[in-house]
Amino acid sequence: MLSRHADAAFWIGRYVERAEATARMIDVHYHFGLESPYVGRVLKWESILAIADEVERYSKMYGEANERNILQFFAFDARNPNSISSCLRLARENGRSIRDQISSEMWESLNRTYLEFQRWNVEVVLDQTPFEFFSWVKDASHLFQGITSRTLMLSEAREFHDAGRYLERADQTARILDVKYHDLLPRFTEDTAIPAPPDPSLPDPASVGGPVDTHGWTAVLKSVGAFEAFRKTYRRTVTPERVTEFLILNPQFPASVRYSVGRVDGALRRISGNRELSPGNAAERAVGRLYNDLNYTDAAEIIAGGLHEFLESVEVRCTEIGDAIYECYLRY
Amino acid sequence: MMEGDGPRSHARHLFETLDAMSCEEFRARTELADLALMNQGITFTVYSDDKGLEKPFPVDLVPRIIPAHEWSHIERGLEQRVRAINLFLHDVYHRQDILNDGVVPRELILGAPNFRPSFVGADVPGDLYVHICGSDLIRDDKGEYLVLEDNARTPSGVSYMLENRLILTRVFPNLFRDYAVRPINGYASTLLANLRSLAPVGRDEPNVVLLTPGVFNSAYFEHAFLAQQMGIELVEGRDLFVEHGFVYVKTTKGPQRVDVIYRRIDDDFLDPSEFRRESVLGVAGLVEAYRRGNVALANGIGTGVVDDKAVYPYVPAMIRYYLQQEPILAQVPTYMGWRSDDLTYMLEHPSDLVFKATNESGGYGMLMGPQASAGEIDLYLQQVRANPRGYIAQPLISLSQMPCFVEDHFEGRHVDLRPFVLCGRDRVTIMPGGLTRVALRRGSYVVNSSQGGGSKDTWVLAGDRNGGIGC
Repeated sequence: MLSRHADAAFWIGRYVERAEATARMIDVHYHFGLESPYVGRVLKWESILAIADEVERYSKMYGEANERNILQFFAFDARNPNSISSCLRLARENGRSIRDQISSEMWESLNRTYLEFQRWNVEVVLDQTPFEFFSWVKDASHLFQGITSRTLMLSEAREFHDAGRYLERADQTARILDVKYHDLLPRFTEDTAIPAPPDPSLPDPASVGGPVDTHGWTAVLKSVGAFEAFRKTYRRTVTPERVTEFLILNPQFPASVRYSVGRVDGALRRISGNRELSPGNAAERAVGRLYNDLNYTDAAEIIAGGLHEFLESVEVRCTEIGDAIYECYLRY
Repeated sequence: MMEGDGPRSHARHLFETLDAMSCEEFRARTELADLALMNQGITFTVYSDDKGLEKPFPVDLVPRIIPAHEWSHIERGLEQRVRAINLFLHDVYHRQDILNDGVVPRELILGAPNFRPSFVGADVPGDLYVHICGSDLIRDDKGEYLVLEDNARTPSGVSYMLENRLILTRVFPNLFRDYAVRPINGYASTLLANLRSLAPVGRDEPNVVLLTPGVFNSAYFEHAFLAQQMGIELVEGRDLFVEHGFVYVKTTKGPQRVDVIYRRIDDDFLDPSEFRRESVLGVAGLVEAYRRGNVALANGIGTGVVDDKAVYPYVPAMIRYYLQQEPILAQVPTYMGWRSDDLTYMLEHPSDLVFKATNESGGYGMLMGPQASAGEIDLYLQQVRANPRGYIAQPLISLSQMPCFVEDHFEGRHVDLRPFVLCGRDRVTIMPGGLTRVALRRGSYVVNSSQGGGSKDTWVLAGDRNGGIGC
């Protein structure tokens, strides 16, 4: 397969996944905010900027973080290369550049999604229900994934697409967890002290196990579509440890970091045909190493070593995996 | 389609079917077709504000019908023409007999912008230069088909021919049942077989690729479509490189040798080390690899000399010279600015003539004398006087009209026909049909898509009546 074609397939996977992850993230944040009187103090719009590593770009462009601006920035702003709008446009451009390699149905799906997206803007979203918009983005992503799964040959193009999709998913799950962890456990950090509740007779909303805490971790689960799966797995209350374990290490949940990294590993092995235990190139080494670490650790060990440090290393390693895939296969 | 008061006999059934259909129904089918085109990305971009607006390529759903006897005349004429063209190209890049014998003026060829002197003496597989030719035909008021021009470089439009057919079969399945329409879906297979036959000796499983300028090219859809139909890789210049005179494509498994390139990039941009230095679309060293016979190109280099508007008037002479035959298809009488009698006539009768700059295409650089104002004519004639070699003029041929669906009713529009001719080593194949281009503006004669043209499906019938077998 041509390196340029493989590169485009890889990025189609990444961009569609990124569009969906962005929609999920804002959706949950938005709806979480509606239900919680405490949220303004605890879950801030700023944390969304932090997840996406966009604090700097955003503050230059908009200054204040409020609902309308955040929505504009993440969903519609063409100047933000990671906005849903940009992701769908880039996925379509990549699709166009390899439309002979992917199935016609895949190209039409990318093209239609892009065209139909044009009917949305901030006003329309706020006038109607944001729920409808976020659902539309998620549905479009799922439709594309279904079409891909049904129509694309089990070929290199598909493996590169999957590698891109799952690498993006691993990265996004780690990021969401990282920032929410930072938000929800303010006690553990020294620089963000939470003010006392206005009425001292109420319980401290931010205490572990308090209403904000449970509500917040539930929101984290929902943002990656994991709440129901979590309940089925644990049948117990939502605690930070369990959420951590589930989202990072669960081998069966399709958005856990471990599962996603495993899919990247599998895709790369099928591309190279390497069945040996030892890696055949730098990309296989990078992803195999991370996958093994995830396979052989547990939640207690991660938390003891510092969850933030662990997640940050996952994010860095995802970037390294992407770089290694580029060097091994995609450079043209 | 109309003759006198009614439709020509082969079109009567179509006419009655459309007549029985309500305007709303027809419009609904048109919208269905437009939506299909939008979703497939068969669009062009209109830049009205900073955001480009995408519109589907206009397809008129009323098919054009060509009875069998008309088609066989066209077919024989085009085959004869393209044979002569290939013989001519081989000649001008080798012995130049036709120039030595004074049949075609030497300075006209050697001075043509698309003549490639560095290819004189170079051999190409099967002595074929033009593998794919798109010749534009018009039908005059006497019903005779005339060749308007030949596109011997990188003719486009065949994907629209194929897509239009697909759309029509979806929109009017019943009409296909009633008419015996000859299929055109063998195009990609024939082209692929021809391309494979060009591979260098010893390359039994040749690697054939299609070279495109990229997604921003207006014909990109067609490039991707053809690559997909043939199952070959669609490559850009940056995917290829040349080492020791061989061409390679960069793949995830390392470099792989390329044997045949169906290139959709003009000569000028093919190789920055040979032609235009600033070209970023091409591949440095490609032309030398071609010259050495390590890679085949379709079409070959230097074919543009034959679709030069200044060379066009000599094609009938080429047919007589190489084939000792009379041309089967007539062409439009042409006044040439470099002949003093012709020039005098051109300058004296501008409002009877259509002027064309010989180095322009796509409907640019033209003057429609009968419709132009005195001021426009004056300005244009100044350019003609300054550079007579650069202009030809032809009488305005009243192009045949075909009914088209306009807003909410049918109206006549001018059409031409571009059939696609494939030249293989042993035979010439012409798909029965072609792209019927429509000048969508009322009264307009310009059918180019860049200038508001649309297209129609073209049905060549197996017989002469409704076409039914046994009819």
